[in-house]
Amino acid sequence: MLSTSSNRRDFIAGLTFVLAGCEKRMTPAQARAAEVPFRTLEPATVAVLDALGETLLPGSSAAGLAHYIDHQLSGAPADSMLMIKYLGVPAPFNEFYQAGLRASDAVARAAHGKAFPSLSKEQAGGLVGKMSAGQVEGWQGPPAGLFYFVLRSDAIDVVYGTQAGFEQLGVPYMAHIEPPSRWGE
Amino acid sequence: MTSLPQEPVDVIVVGSGAAGSNMAARLAEGGKRVLILEAGPERGPGHLVSSTLYARRVKWTGPPVLDEGRNPVGFVFNSAYGTGGAAMHHYAVWPRLHPEDFDMHSRHDRGLDWPLKYTDLAPYYDKVQQEAGVSGDATKEIWRPAGAPYPMPAVPVFPQGDAIARGFTKLGKTVAPLPIAVTSTPYNGRPTCLWDGWCDSGCPIGALANPLTIHLPRAASAGATLVNDAPVTRVLTTDDGTRAVGVEVALKDGSRQTVNAKLVVLAAFAVENPRLLLASATPKHPQGLGNSGGFVGRYIMTHAAGLVYGLFDEETRPYMGAFGGQLVNQDSYPKTTHAKSGAFGSYQWMIAQAVKPNDLLGISTTRPDLFGNALQDFMKRAVRGFAGMTAVCEDLPVADNRVTLTDQRDAHNVPIARVTHTTHDESVALWKASLVEGKEVMQAAGAKEVWTGPAGSMHIMGGTVMGTAVSNSVTNTYGQLHDIRNLVIAGPGLFPTSAGVNPTFTVHAIAARSAEHILATWTQLAG
Repeated sequence: MLSTSSNRRDFIAGLTFVLAGCEKRMTPAQARAAEVPFRTLEPATVAVLDALGETLLPGSSAAGLAHYIDHQLSGAPADSMLMIKYLGVPAPFNEFYQAGLRASDAVARAAHGKAFPSLSKEQAGGLVGKMSAGQVEGWQGPPAGLFYFVLRSDAIDVVYGTQAGFEQLGVPYMAHIEPPSRWGE
Repeated sequence: MTSLPQEPVDVIVVGSGAAGSNMAARLAEGGKRVLILEAGPERGPGHLVSSTLYARRVKWTGPPVLDEGRNPVGFVFNSAYGTGGAAMHHYAVWPRLHPEDFDMHSRHDRGLDWPLKYTDLAPYYDKVQQEAGVSGDATKEIWRPAGAPYPMPAVPVFPQGDAIARGFTKLGKTVAPLPIAVTSTPYNGRPTCLWDGWCDSGCPIGALANPLTIHLPRAASAGATLVNDAPVTRVLTTDDGTRAVGVEVALKDGSRQTVNAKLVVLAAFAVENPRLLLASATPKHPQGLGNSGGFVGRYIMTHAAGLVYGLFDEETRPYMGAFGGQLVNQDSYPKTTHAKSGAFGSYQWMIAQAVKPNDLLGISTTRPDLFGNALQDFMKRAVRGFAGMTAVCEDLPVADNRVTLTDQRDAHNVPIARVTHTTHDESVALWKASLVEGKEVMQAAGAKEVWTGPAGSMHIMGGTVMGTAVSNSVTNTYGQLHDIRNLVIAGPGLFPTSAGVNPTFTVHAIAARSAEHILATWTQLAG
């Protein structure tokens, strides 16, 4: 399970996850590698989230996208760092994510007869393209375009929004106060 | 946590942002016992982590606000919760309003007139820019109204600014250094900015003139007390409704405490101020305090952002500089510049703003249509040659754009606010005109790709507008309610029009003028 603790010290040393009863500071990527159990996301939707993340931005799954979102959803909304808080969606945000993931899987099954994680790269890309335009036939969830934008932003955050991500792009980070340790390493 | 005083104070200031901290400092220095009540948590420089993710925790996390209408004001993004308020993450672009902003209704039969003129505010702009420190070059700002030169030299221009300036120049337009309350030289013990583009996360080194750096230390030195986690639930008035006597504060254990004062200043931003006035209704003020004319909550405004981007072959180093930008152009300030396009109002360009890879204003979000390998390819190119600029487009005041109370209640049983905002057609046309001009500039500058963004919302103004009488406004020129003179509003909610520039400098100028008036008339006000 995950701790809801996420004060500033946590970010300096990573996020605080709880593994086998012990609190440990880890990056989301480390939490993924250690198979830290999810606290809020439904297990059935995690695979959909990973597959969607990879379609939106390759590398986001390994960067710990699902563990990052799960950690943020498990804490107090006031501490949330998710982009969704800017977008007029009332907290808590859990149902927005769960409903969007369920809807993604449902349209994959309706269009291609298989779960979203089992789609080919082309099939997944086709569906995500329709989501980005907000035009997915049979979509039943939060507005598809908004869900796409939110999840895309989360994927970008875990891949590019860190010191490692800046480095990967060749952008100097130039921090005054250091953020968390290098997520994604 | 500092506890609430049991004894009456002279002044209660609700909110510790730009307006509240300014008023608190001046009133405390004038010898008044000042108590600042901040609804949000304590925040100091050590909390301002340089991270686009962490920056989101500085934004509003108070009671929910329903953000509605065709063009919502973006309340969470544009406000904040905690010490320093929204000014903690503001970008410190500090241009002055122009004389023509103050009598727009008389000149153009649009919007409202202000009850004061530019010349009334000019001395206070001069005073505030000296104490806060503004960098710029007044001689190069050919549009700038009369005023003292800036106390610091202009901010540096990086390759992103050079690239875009080339386009303006080719089209015969002018650019000047952006006036910005960020240190271009050491100033009053503050270090020079590093131009690292982290302004949105809050500046922890004192280079940017936020409340932690400027007015809260002054207020504290003069004896003012700041109490965090102290949400005000009501403003209390006398039985006859003619005077404010204090406020009711919600405590963490669920109880309420009354704090009495001779004067109350509401500086809780453009949505929370009218919410409090409406929620403080009494038999003498059944529609809410200051609302006998029906204007509390009305004329909410927000600047539409005209976002224009270009991708250049050259290295632009777009991550360098201040978040507010490097250069300014105000050629489109005259209100009828784009009348042929059906537009009305002013706009200015903030040119070459520092950008990071991610976040709502980051490079990746300028192309939300891209994903997968296309997104990766774009990011690799864009971090090398990206350039952007933003038009601050005037929003005509519309009475039905307003704050109202809902049937829903917050944790302290106070009705939560609904903000409804739909942009006036002539303001929409102005925003569209800015995009047309912006694309021309980028193309003239030699950008290989040019694109635009949606009309984002910048700043929130109005809701408690100043005017000449109850029949047209909520307050007088000093922010005093027309019918409760010792209840004072401070902040951008006072603006009768939004102008085409960033509001914080004007917020400070009005606050300085109001504080001076309060001190000069204290004997009458304090009763």
